[in-house]
Amino acid sequence: MLVMRLVSVTKLLSLISILISVLLAGCGSSSNNDEPIKLQMYQQWQLKPGDAVKGFQVLGGLGDISISLNGKSVYAPFDGRAQRDPQNCLIFSSPDVPAYLFRLCGLNDLRLGSHQQGAPLGSASILHFATLRKQPDGTWAIVEPSKPIIERVLSQT
Amino acid sequence: MAHHDRGSGMKYMLAGGSVMAALGLMMDIGGLMPHAAPKKEICQEIVQPKAILSRDQLTQLLSVSEGSDKAQIQQLVKTPYCRLPDIQAQVGAIAQREAYPLAFDPQTWLVILYEGNTYAGYAFSFRH
Repeated sequence: MLVMRLVSVTKLLSLISILISVLLAGCGSSSNNDEPIKLQMYQQWQLKPGDAVKGFQVLGGLGDISISLNGKSVYAPFDGRAQRDPQNCLIFSSPDVPAYLFRLCGLNDLRLGSHQQGAPLGSASILHFATLRKQPDGTWAIVEPSKPIIERVLSQT
Repeated sequence: MAHHDRGSGMKYMLAGGSVMAALGLMMDIGGLMPHAAPKKEICQEIVQPKAILSRDQLTQLLSVSEGSDKAQIQQLVKTPYCRLPDIQAQVGAIAQREAYPLAFDPQTWLVILYEGNTYAGYAFSFRH
């Protein structure tokens, strides 16, 4: 009897933890606060976008694709959410694309918050684009971005 | 004995109350979401129209680490409701995506992403 009770209490607790995790995920995708997110990167490179060398700002790093946009806009590649990181790059995430993040550095007018696919995210003279993939240890690795994703970012699909 | 019964009754009340509170919060947050417009259909192919994911399945899935075998996940979650179009975010890695409505909140879907035989991760997609 006691064992059965313990089992059902455990079940209830696990249910609560699921609800809370769903709830937190919900908050994550719906809140529009301006708090920068700090990603734990897999690669610990010496210089990253936002750093400085001899007083000069680093705009792109290893793994970024730099594209001359001449002030044109970039667009949400999927339904998702735009946040900024401490270097003021835009971090785009989509619940429809688990395990990936897209980092857009060099934007002038970041449009943060929830976006539908094709919504403008900002404009840039030079865009520095990186694709990040989640690793089993929870860090984010810069990987080679595919052309189709960059095409989605550059066109209002 | 009577004291013991009262103690466990209290536990049930607390646990039940927390569940109700969590559900209430979820509903509030749903109402506060800035873009309440219905999402456009993201499925490319419906696989099993009646497929849903139970709490137990979800609990088990959340305990599987990213990078595990696809087969391990599929054994847990069975047939998906639908498949999303394949995407290639990383050069050379074609990603398959499968979606499961949650049994206790069918408007929320769990989307799972695989690359080859590897489980890469999941996300909760709202308002379907």
